[in-house]
Amino acid sequence: MKKILLIIVSLAISGMVNAQKSLLSVDENNKYIYYQVVDMPGIKADSLHKNAGLFMMDMYPKVTLQMTRSGISVKDKFLTYTSLIKHENGEMAYTLNVECKDGKYRFWVTNFVFTPYEKDRYGMFVPVNGKDISLEKASDKLQKKDVEGYFEQTGAFCKQLGDKLKKYMIEGKPKQPKEDKPVKKIVTEKW
Amino acid sequence: MKRILLLLSLFVIAVTSVKAATPTAVADTGKVGTGADPKDPPLILSGSVDTYWKYDFSGHSNIPTSFATDQNSVSIGMIDLGLKKKVGKASFVGELAFGPRGQYQSIPNGDGSTGNGANSFHIQNLYVSYDVTDKLNFTAGYMATFIGYEVISPTGNFNYSTSYLFTSGPFQNAGFKATYAFSDKVSLMAGIFNDNWNVYTSQHDVSTFGAQLMVAPVKGWTAYLNVASGPTSGTILDLTTAYQITDAFKLGLNGATYTPAHGGGGYDGVALYPQLAVSKTVTFGLRGEYFETKAIGTTVPSANVKALTATANIKAGAITLIPEVRFDNAKNQIFTNSDGVPTKSANQFLIAAVYAF
Repeated sequence: MKKILLIIVSLAISGMVNAQKSLLSVDENNKYIYYQVVDMPGIKADSLHKNAGLFMMDMYPKVTLQMTRSGISVKDKFLTYTSLIKHENGEMAYTLNVECKDGKYRFWVTNFVFTPYEKDRYGMFVPVNGKDISLEKASDKLQKKDVEGYFEQTGAFCKQLGDKLKKYMIEGKPKQPKEDKPVKKIVTEKW
Repeated sequence: MKRILLLLSLFVIAVTSVKAATPTAVADTGKVGTGADPKDPPLILSGSVDTYWKYDFSGHSNIPTSFATDQNSVSIGMIDLGLKKKVGKASFVGELAFGPRGQYQSIPNGDGSTGNGANSFHIQNLYVSYDVTDKLNFTAGYMATFIGYEVISPTGNFNYSTSYLFTSGPFQNAGFKATYAFSDKVSLMAGIFNDNWNVYTSQHDVSTFGAQLMVAPVKGWTAYLNVASGPTSGTILDLTTAYQITDAFKLGLNGATYTPAHGGGGYDGVALYPQLAVSKTVTFGLRGEYFETKAIGTTVPSANVKALTATANIKAGAITLIPEVRFDNAKNQIFTNSDGVPTKSANQFLIAAVYAF
């Protein structure tokens, strides 16, 4: 009985470790990919394409967008962090692609390339020059625990990105909350 | 007992299932990429601790390395604690160090005033910085020097013992500097610094001019051409460059020439740093250095020393083990052998452990 319970606990823990990695799949070229097809019943492709453009312009204001006949793509990076005491330990480059059809859109994030960071003489974390590691080769070149962390953070980042994209696809550009909310006045003379 | 174990199992499964289904939130400092909400990064803490054992084959300390000085002793380097915070375009860095490496071996005691000479301020870096534009940055305070290849922090060096060039050059320069990035491949820093190197307070004025031209001609190759010159501190010209030629092989080079402001002398030197990664946890490296002190008039002749250091970096999680053997050979008899007799050569072995967080 004890052995069975121990096995159950071990399986549960390993399931947690692999959960984020499982957010990524492998495409036909054996590259890691985060791929989603999202149904948007009743919404025309033109409208979805316009919303995808708004998303891209809001999210990547300083990055050149690649417009294709079927969609939009962009290349960018996000920071990765150490687990115990949080500070930057690298950056992950990626490519985001969005394509639209009547009633649905798809997006995928791929071409993950990791650049480790090192602490420089001024106490800042900066990229290690010339060390670019594709996520596919990360387990050959980096320590296992670190690689698990990068997979976890990449999966989480892609999910966040997908959630934000969906919000734009449904609502268009989200309305900014009014900044100058009138302050409620209280009359203290009468009480 | 079985019930307790069963309940414990169910609890673990429940917790892990919930955690697995909820992706880790990814913070984004806005420094890299734009694909997430730009937020002010939190106060970030990082640092290191290091310890070592060294044995000089003469039986006593011989080689004048800045750190790893103690003979046949399990000794401490330092605990280094760095804090940084950025809000909008403004940021600060404060880096404190405790231990021989982080106090009297690398920073001044006190501020030079009478009665304060025994106090260590523990400050390695203390500066504020402001991004005027995406390309222009202003920084002021007490900063690690921009000169040279090696640094004070053990996490920033491959070898644990230090070169003659490092020991002889500046450690910190306090002052104000402006850095302009023309592109990812070219940037220029120019600044005005305190009259002396390695001081919290200037002796007379802020009169050392410093500049650094950074070029990155190809992917993986970065070169820094540095100059610091002043009527009190003298003039140092320095070239520091590193090229990650393949995934496994990196080559570094440091060359410098220094002329004091008064009295003659100074030094020239060059050091080469080839490193080869043989696995994801083990890297071997060499440091070959030639260092020459300049003659002072006709009274003190020129002298030189050649040093070869073979080092391995073995990574085990956050710990790096650093076994190292070093052979120094001088023109003159500047070392002593086991009998205390002057000799031209000295050899030492050390093993260090560095934990970075």
